[in-house]
Amino acid sequence: MSRELVALAIMGIDQHENGAIAVARVLREAQMKVAYLGKFHTPDSVAEKAISEGADVVGISCHSWEYMRLVPQLVEKLKERGADIPVIIGGSVITPEDGEKMREAGVAAVFTSASDSEGLIECVRALSAAREKRRSVDS
Amino acid sequence: MKMQTRSGVPLQHTYLAPDGAGERPGEFPFTRGRLANAHAHTAWIQRELSGEGNGQRSNAQIRYLLEHGQTGIDVIGDAPTQSLLDPDHPLAREAVGTQGVSLCRKQDFLDLFEGVPFDRVSISSSAPAFLALSGLVLAAREAKFPLERLRGSILHGPLYTEDCSYAWHLPVDFRVRLALDCMEFCSRHMPKFHAYVEDTYFFSESGLTPVEEMALGFVQLRHLVRKLIARGVAVDTFAPRIALLVNCGMDFFEEIAKIRATRRLYAKMMREEFGATNPRSISAAITSHTSGLSLTAQQPVNNIVRGSIQALALVLAGVQALEISAFDEAYRTPSKDAHIVGLRTQQILDLEAGAAKVTDPLGGSYFVEALTDELERRIRARIDEIEAIDDPEALSARGFFRDVFHQSMETAQLAVEKGDVALIGVNAHTLAEEDDRLLRDVATAKIETWHSHTKEISQFKRQREPAPVRAALERVATAVTGSENLVPRVVEALDASATIGEIATTMRHALGMPPDIFDQAPPGDPIGARHVA
Repeated sequence: MSRELVALAIMGIDQHENGAIAVARVLREAQMKVAYLGKFHTPDSVAEKAISEGADVVGISCHSWEYMRLVPQLVEKLKERGADIPVIIGGSVITPEDGEKMREAGVAAVFTSASDSEGLIECVRALSAAREKRRSVDS
Repeated sequence: MKMQTRSGVPLQHTYLAPDGAGERPGEFPFTRGRLANAHAHTAWIQRELSGEGNGQRSNAQIRYLLEHGQTGIDVIGDAPTQSLLDPDHPLAREAVGTQGVSLCRKQDFLDLFEGVPFDRVSISSSAPAFLALSGLVLAAREAKFPLERLRGSILHGPLYTEDCSYAWHLPVDFRVRLALDCMEFCSRHMPKFHAYVEDTYFFSESGLTPVEEMALGFVQLRHLVRKLIARGVAVDTFAPRIALLVNCGMDFFEEIAKIRATRRLYAKMMREEFGATNPRSISAAITSHTSGLSLTAQQPVNNIVRGSIQALALVLAGVQALEISAFDEAYRTPSKDAHIVGLRTQQILDLEAGAAKVTDPLGGSYFVEALTDELERRIRARIDEIEAIDDPEALSARGFFRDVFHQSMETAQLAVEKGDVALIGVNAHTLAEEDDRLLRDVATAKIETWHSHTKEISQFKRQREPAPVRAALERVATAVTGSENLVPRVVEALDASATIGEIATTMRHALGMPPDIFDQAPPGDPIGARHVA
């Protein structure tokens, strides 16, 4: 299979970039492709970019509580556009309870400060592979 | 405070080499401290960062802190405020009041500073400098407190703000001009106010080393000083009110050496390169925050220990003011509980440990002196290296500094991941998540988004008299395209009920930029700030 492509973004006016940049490096070192979308995104703009970039997975870096409102909207926006692209989120502000709420809202995986790089890499591979499989079944 | 040890050994404020030779505190080049007996009468300014919700809520925080012995104020704006956006901007709505106080109009500043004793405490702001200064001017006027007696400070980072902090979406030359306008305005009207604080804290939180932090700080500061002198402002009229806000991470002795080396570099630069003669222009005033980046989401109680160690380093290095990043930093701006812990830590260092009784207590240590010399040499070399590449504004515009910050974010993260630096609770001595409970609930308690404030601002915009707002914004636009000082025009616009979002939009428009940098529909804005100019 081709190299996984992850679109990474920060939404709202959260401007803490350390986490997203670190994750981009981890994924690239694992031979994945990263479309680094950067800061100042809305659920709409992430959905649009993720689709146009052909992303296998969308990753959202969360360092302010804005994510609680914006991430579920992103999941909806992707659905509305008929895009089968799993959303994963990560950030130190995500508590286990809030992570659970996000999963209920349709987020595929949640990473906190307790997560490690291997777990992230495996998760992206598994999500991409599952998506590939769904697509081949569909076609 | 008694100048003796518990055993009754009398103490001097200053100790010298046995032969009396060598540098003394309060003497050029001020390695050993700005003043001879820095804390003979009062301790350093003890404060904690505050700000959440609206002006009234943050005013209650300030009163609480002052009641508990805080001796200065430092207020941070929420993310929209830091980004020059109004609460009703589509991109800002979910971030109103959660990571600081929402400040977009005059009334917010009046609420924030209601009843604050301007004569007793210094007012520092970690909000956009020209906004914070203008708001403070209006609040002081309202309280009938003379501007020339106002003490406090505003932070600047014109070369770096767009790249590693809250972006203003204004071009670098204009950001530099805003900083210079603040300095020039204060040199005329607010002689006791630190109009330019070189804020190396925020950009070094990208993970910069202490050498890189100070080198970048000096590159920016030197650029501003050169430009203001070129405007015809005499160095000794503004340099006495320059200060530096530095970071303090966990490398205890290097942080102390960094601050001592910084005072020395600053003194030599001011006297030898810029021709300053006033001792206040030459001796660096240094304020400091302990590093938020060094704190962890895991085992938040450990952050109290980290803050204490960093604060001790800063006190031993002889800083003028200090804030401890709170134990809940990884999750939020400080809670009431985190505030009191930070404040009490400072009070314990001061009153119980007597850490500031003797000025520069580590002066003369073979290790600290050698490290100070080496830090001075390395910082100086890095300044020269950067300045040799190009003009700092050109470097900023083409993303040179952005690359530096991104690189340091990666390097810092990688060092933790590989275990090159120990981070207890993260890559060493970890606890299972279910056992990591101590202070966890306190640290993760959320601040709800202040949607009610957004509603209030929308209503305020609808109800105000539009003509004066429009006229004041037109004067801002004229000032932007001309050369007059922008500070009085911003004060006037806020006074006429314009908001910071409208002022920033007007500025961008006058500079020929798109009206909304986020390509969002403009907020409910009957004034049409984008059409001014």
